[in-house]
Amino acid sequence: MASVTTKPIDTTTIEVPGQRAPLVLGSPDYGTVTESVCRLAECKTPMSFYVALGISASLMGMLFGLIGYLIITGVGVWGNRSPVFWGWPIVNFVFWVGIGHAGTLISAILFLFRQNWRTGINRAAEAMTIFAVICAGVFPGIHIGRVWLAYWLFPIPNQMEMWPNFRSPLLWDVFAVSTYATVSLLFWYMGMIPDLATLRDRATGKIQQFAYGLFSLGWNGSSRHWHRYERAYLLLAALAAPLVLSVHTIVSFDFAVSQLPGWHTTIFPPYFVAGAVFSGFAMVLTLMIPARSICGIQDLLTDRHLENMTKVIIATGSMVGYAYAMEFFVAWYSGNRYETFAFINRAFGPYAWAYWIMVSCNVISPQLFWIKKIRTTPWMIFVVCIFVNIGMWFERFVITVTSLSRDFLPSSWGYFKPTIVDVLMLIGSFGLFLTLFLLFCKFLPMVAMAEVKSVMPRPGGQGDH
Amino acid sequence: MATTIEQSEKTKAEPELIGLLAEFDDPQALIDASVKVRDAGYRNWDTHTPFPLHGIDEAMGIKFTILPWIVAACGLTGGTIAVGMQYWMNAVDYPFMISGKPLFSLPACIPIIFELSVLLAAFGAFFGMLGLNQLPKLYNPLFKSDAFRRVTNDRFFISMDASDAKFSEIDSGEFLNSLNPISVEECWSDVSSPKLPRNLVLALSLVGVIMLLPPALVAYKRSTTTNTPRIHIIPDMDFQPSLKAQNTTNLFPDGREIRPSIKGAIPRGQFKDDNIPFYYGLKELPEDQDVVVIALQDEKKTDAKKEDAKKPADAKPAPVDAAAEAAKKLDKLPWVTEFPMPVTEKMMARGKERFRIYCSVCHGLSGDGDGLVSLRAMELLQGTWVKPASYHTDNVRKLPIGRLFHTISNGVRKMPGYSAQIPPEDRWAIVLYLKALQKSRNTDANTLKDDEKSKLRDTK
Repeated sequence: MASVTTKPIDTTTIEVPGQRAPLVLGSPDYGTVTESVCRLAECKTPMSFYVALGISASLMGMLFGLIGYLIITGVGVWGNRSPVFWGWPIVNFVFWVGIGHAGTLISAILFLFRQNWRTGINRAAEAMTIFAVICAGVFPGIHIGRVWLAYWLFPIPNQMEMWPNFRSPLLWDVFAVSTYATVSLLFWYMGMIPDLATLRDRATGKIQQFAYGLFSLGWNGSSRHWHRYERAYLLLAALAAPLVLSVHTIVSFDFAVSQLPGWHTTIFPPYFVAGAVFSGFAMVLTLMIPARSICGIQDLLTDRHLENMTKVIIATGSMVGYAYAMEFFVAWYSGNRYETFAFINRAFGPYAWAYWIMVSCNVISPQLFWIKKIRTTPWMIFVVCIFVNIGMWFERFVITVTSLSRDFLPSSWGYFKPTIVDVLMLIGSFGLFLTLFLLFCKFLPMVAMAEVKSVMPRPGGQGDH
Repeated sequence: MATTIEQSEKTKAEPELIGLLAEFDDPQALIDASVKVRDAGYRNWDTHTPFPLHGIDEAMGIKFTILPWIVAACGLTGGTIAVGMQYWMNAVDYPFMISGKPLFSLPACIPIIFELSVLLAAFGAFFGMLGLNQLPKLYNPLFKSDAFRRVTNDRFFISMDASDAKFSEIDSGEFLNSLNPISVEECWSDVSSPKLPRNLVLALSLVGVIMLLPPALVAYKRSTTTNTPRIHIIPDMDFQPSLKAQNTTNLFPDGREIRPSIKGAIPRGQFKDDNIPFYYGLKELPEDQDVVVIALQDEKKTDAKKEDAKKPADAKPAPVDAAAEAAKKLDKLPWVTEFPMPVTEKMMARGKERFRIYCSVCHGLSGDGDGLVSLRAMELLQGTWVKPASYHTDNVRKLPIGRLFHTISNGVRKMPGYSAQIPPEDRWAIVLYLKALQKSRNTDANTLKDDEKSKLRDTK
């Protein structure tokens, strides 16, 4: 075994100028990386996994049951009433799509910026992205009412001889989200092929051998293959990076291209993208902090990774805070009385409670990360990230509901009240998300082994880059 | 040497050497060894590593891949498809007219152009990589080597293909051994049966057969007819609980689903009181507005009784005075004597045309009451038939035009009302033509002008 260590094991986890913290702690050995990642898929499944899976799968079952109830009964089971026709389902959609931004951002943009620390977290973050996009896709899918006509969203030749309107931001959204889901899936799967081959080569059971063998496509680690693989990965990253930015931009067009006060603003695209990255990173941390200690991969996913991500959260959280302030400034500066009203109503109207929850969770709580102690203590990071998740859900609620409930015509104003179905569906979507994530942790390589190995110092101390 | 048959059996049974596999435990050793293999002039060989090893491309002399060009081509294709699709669908095949905006404008197409370009380019990158690498290739003789399992973990390999021109079992083996590997191993072709396991074949064929069922069912249903109603998988709005005209309901106290019009309601287009002479033929409506209708009903009722009376021999004599009473009531009404609209040549022509369509079949072309329907009824001795009145009797000639209009509208004796078929302006036109017919039989020739006389003489 090539476990020659030339220098004392570096356990630094925090960046100090002049010295880089290592990306992998412990004895940097290819075999131990493989071992620590594959152990999860190979060891006997602990009881706690089944308990967690049971809970989340029941919640998922509840979601599907409620979807069945919705389809049979109609969208009246939700709280969507005139004038708020975009209630919780759209809030949930935007919330989940936003969360789905972190994975590809970490994989693609950090890859292009040569941020090698991404290797520890990118796989799980990408998986999270895909599961979040699945959750997001559920809501507009069922929001259309007659779900069996969902194919009308796509330009499919039909007996009505009609085509969709390509000038509608809602159609752009269909293309953006489905492209994003597809490209993220390809990116995730392609990154996983060599690691699936590792699992295949270590598998002992017949079923595992067959399944991992099938999905690793016969990968044999050929350098000629690696050459094209790396090129393809770079190209996919280069394609996915602008795609990440485009998706939430187009989601924001759903709002910004309409003429409703509070929605019709040009700040929306950058503001939504910053918010999406913000919420996505918070969700990655929320998942990874417990997952890394349960799965015992602290050596691969170190405190340095967590700290780097908290820094991204401070940056994007401040951008979001700036956007909140700028919206008010623009509303006042524009002199548009409807716009001014929409924002005064947002902060001091009937939904003021939601607005101030949003501000305190999104603007104030991430600022705690300026304190080094909080930034380096996993449980504190976890708590702050929970607040950010809550805050970002409320942000979408505030944007969607306040503007719709009080538009131009006071006679049609109303107050939105969710039904129990709304609430349970949101909870159920977390069940779906966690079920998929648990299955991922159990059956798939949670850390990109090949990538981690490529950024580790080589035995003999040569060729570290 | 064996016979031909034995030889063929031999090639079947005995595995062939297809390559050599050298194992290394250090990436740098692999790179150093690769340089030597490359320099020795081998072509069909490869290295296998658990992760992309930097520096191996130069060490092996791998040429840069054409993948970026494939990706670029796919991206361009995606963008072109997006523009073409949006142009054709929204500006040509199904044009969207929105506030007079141009049917096609590039800025609105940009999001989808971008998305489709990225999508196809991503497909190009992923499937291009797989294609160039000839993956998926689930079987590989290298996988038979136990040592090779560590290629995805922590070991590094050089594989040398026996098809290489420079390859020879002994020389190449020695050469590989000189590179300081942990071990060198021979790779033999697989001689085990290439047949799929029996159970798998059975399961796959079962799945195949089951998958054929839905299309077969669809094809069967498409090509046959059935008497049963179609299956409503999704009922949409095929069955609605809405109320229909002829049904009963317990929703309303009267038990009808159809609702009568509310008293005093005027249906659209039925407001007549702004022009009473035009719609009723009366100068003004009588105080008791119903008198017109009631009088009419009485008149008809008497008719009906008259008819009934004819059949049974012991029936009471019909109350004839009721009809006379009703007629008297009508006579007293203030009928108009002037047309409530300007009289024109066009109106006369219209009246003639309408008269010939609606009236002449009974009344005859000249209004003598000798229309074909009437003649036929008389010929068949229809007991209930009442011969239509001639227009040329004194009684009829004296009737005010309002009364004539009223008769056309509401009917008299056997004649039904024509207000449903003929709009009021046409009824007035018919009245005008009727007056003309009357005048044609009852004019003193001396009152005519000379040119009129000559015109009449010329008309045949």
